[in-house]
Amino acid sequence: MAEVTDLLVADAVRLGCTAADRFDAVRQAGEALVRIGAVEPAYADAMQEREQSLSSFVGEGFAIPHGTDAARALVRRGALAFLQFPEGVDWDGQDVRACVAIAASADEHVSVMSTLAQVLLDPDQAEELRTTTDPERVLELLAPAPEQDDETQQPQETL
Amino acid sequence: MPSIEGKDIKSVVVACEAGMGSSVLLTTQLAKQLKPHGVAVTHSPVNRLNDDTADVVLCHQGLVSRARQAAPNSVVIPFQMFMGDPAFAKVTAAITNGGTLDG
Repeated sequence: MAEVTDLLVADAVRLGCTAADRFDAVRQAGEALVRIGAVEPAYADAMQEREQSLSSFVGEGFAIPHGTDAARALVRRGALAFLQFPEGVDWDGQDVRACVAIAASADEHVSVMSTLAQVLLDPDQAEELRTTTDPERVLELLAPAPEQDDETQQPQETL
Repeated sequence: MPSIEGKDIKSVVVACEAGMGSSVLLTTQLAKQLKPHGVAVTHSPVNRLNDDTADVVLCHQGLVSRARQAAPNSVVIPFQMFMGDPAFAKVTAAITNGGTLDG
């Protein structure tokens, strides 16, 4: 699981969070990325900007807040943070229970996102990721599947 | 408005605001379905699109006008939901069973 430990570390997994609204949740997600040294503080502002232009809700009670294309320059190293909101956050009319916050300078996070897509398509796994009280389980559920190199793509732009 | 036959589609790009989040999530799912049909699926920030980027552009409803402006000759298909939107089935069906996509 070397891959996931690089991108998503236990320090960036925060369970039992509460947020007043989605912008508060995005602020906390940004703080989590700043705290682990993945991004410059201004990246958190870009996350707010991105959220204002378009909701980062993706379905199954999940949102994936991240910065803007221009804010890639504020990423020190690609990383993810995971925040769970057991009481739910009103996300522009949707009920969000967990956020996967993204800091990416290129496509270093594609394999984890692929795993997340699989989890979201599996109602049982999605439920477990929304509700587990074990941070270790979060890391396991989001660990990129081994040997699926048919998923590695040729990204057309990686800068 | 441009259109394309399913059999002529060789590349699909999923565009979003930053090219970092939702487009990546969708790209990984679509690539699995379309790769066996010889279609390359990539992702891109909407601002970096151009006519050479791909035959078909998939993007969120809110970004359609920007996508059409950036890639006026590509077929632009909007979606609203990141999971299970009928737009994805439409594109996949045109590629696997044939048919025309307009956009």
